Amino acid sequence: MRIAAIVFSPLLALAGGLFFLGLARKVAARVGWRCGPPLVQPVIDIIRLLNQSSVSHGGLFSLGIVFALAGAAAVVLFLPLGGPPPFRESGGLLAILYLMLLAPLGIALSGGAAANPNSSIGVSRSLILTLAYELPFLLILLAVMTRYGTISLVKIVESQAGGGWAIFSLPLLLSGIAYLLILPAILGFRPFEIANAPQEIASGALVEYGGRFLALATIQQALNLFIGPALFVNLFLGGAGNPLFFFAKMLAVFTGVLLVNAAYPRLRLEQAVGYLWRWPTLIALAGLAAVMWW
Amino acid sequence: MGHKYSLHAVYFCTGCGIIEIPPALTARWDAERFGIIPAAAPRQANLFLITGYVSLKTLKPIIRTYEQMGEPKFTVAFGSCPINGGMYWDSYNTVKHLDRYLPIDGWIAGCMPRPEAIFTAITHLWGMIDRGEADGYRRYRRYYRQYRANQERVLGRLDWPPLRGED
Repeated sequence: MRIAAIVFSPLLALAGGLFFLGLARKVAARVGWRCGPPLVQPVIDIIRLLNQSSVSHGGLFSLGIVFALAGAAAVVLFLPLGGPPPFRESGGLLAILYLMLLAPLGIALSGGAAANPNSSIGVSRSLILTLAYELPFLLILLAVMTRYGTISLVKIVESQAGGGWAIFSLPLLLSGIAYLLILPAILGFRPFEIANAPQEIASGALVEYGGRFLALATIQQALNLFIGPALFVNLFLGGAGNPLFFFAKMLAVFTGVLLVNAAYPRLRLEQAVGYLWRWPTLIALAGLAAVMWW
Repeated sequence: MGHKYSLHAVYFCTGCGIIEIPPALTARWDAERFGIIPAAAPRQANLFLITGYVSLKTLKPIIRTYEQMGEPKFTVAFGSCPINGGMYWDSYNTVKHLDRYLPIDGWIAGCMPRPEAIFTAITHLWGMIDRGEADGYRRYRRYYRQYRANQERVLGRLDWPPLRGED
């Protein structure tokens, strides 16, 4: 039973993430008065990429993307997706905080092994952006953990079932707003798309990925797209009793991110870091202070 | 099925014909409906649109970009210049018959072809992929000695090693 949950949970997250990836392209197209590709286009892309030959730059290059994918899949095992997660009594939010860093670090590892200066620039931008959003992210998680007195996501979801959604309680409203402000940065959408800018640095760390590696990177991106909103729904919107209701809440959050993505251009790296270390950090800090003193 | 509905074109702007690609990608004639998006790097792409005339100077990067792409890959010559020299038929510096130096799966005539012609060509390419006729990359490997001899005749000694028979 537990084994089935461990195998099934990342697959469910992958299916949801691929749907989100297709939805992202469709919404960006529709907002731009185009038709856009079909919703299953990411699946077609992954099938094509898996059937295309690719070149590896060595063991570290191949290993890095596998690290990133493993990190993303491991985070899903700690997330309640409308039901208790497979690893419910081991670490909770602290484990998620650590494992969420494996994805950018894995891509950085293989990007460094690729003999391409575009890759190095992309890796540095990706890591600096991660550094930028990790600060408000940590403050938000500290506020939630202090308010509910636990690091277990299952207990946080259960407390909200009894006492109402966290985002409607005043101190955590600030933390929720801060999370929504940094969510595009976590997911890599505009205005924080600097890490993978196709027009500037030939897609950064992904420049040397072909075939199989790009397929794994797309799968990892799909899982990332699932994890960001899922964490928000669990922390601030009270989770859900069943996966369908959970997915509906995630869809509502994600649609907001997509509309922002369709409307905004890309911020430069120093603009992105300056913004992320200013307003979301101040709001998250205010939320943490409010939680500690109320 | 995966190959034809997910044609990512490497965004190498080879000649003047590239001016006709952004209209095909933007809102009026949306190419993303066909699954075509521009790919930033040749390793991520499987379609090479050779737009416009190919000068001797551009031929070298075109060959290197083509060889970096993963297989199966498809080349479409866009415009009249790769077909028979087009507007530059009597120039000393342009390549008149691109098919001698790079395998071409299909040509789109015009100077410049309209976006409707591009989409007709893409659906034609889909049919060729279905019937297994879009095998330019296999021809390149099979007759690589002859292609390389043609390339070296116009470009002089090439400083990259010849393709090995792997993959």
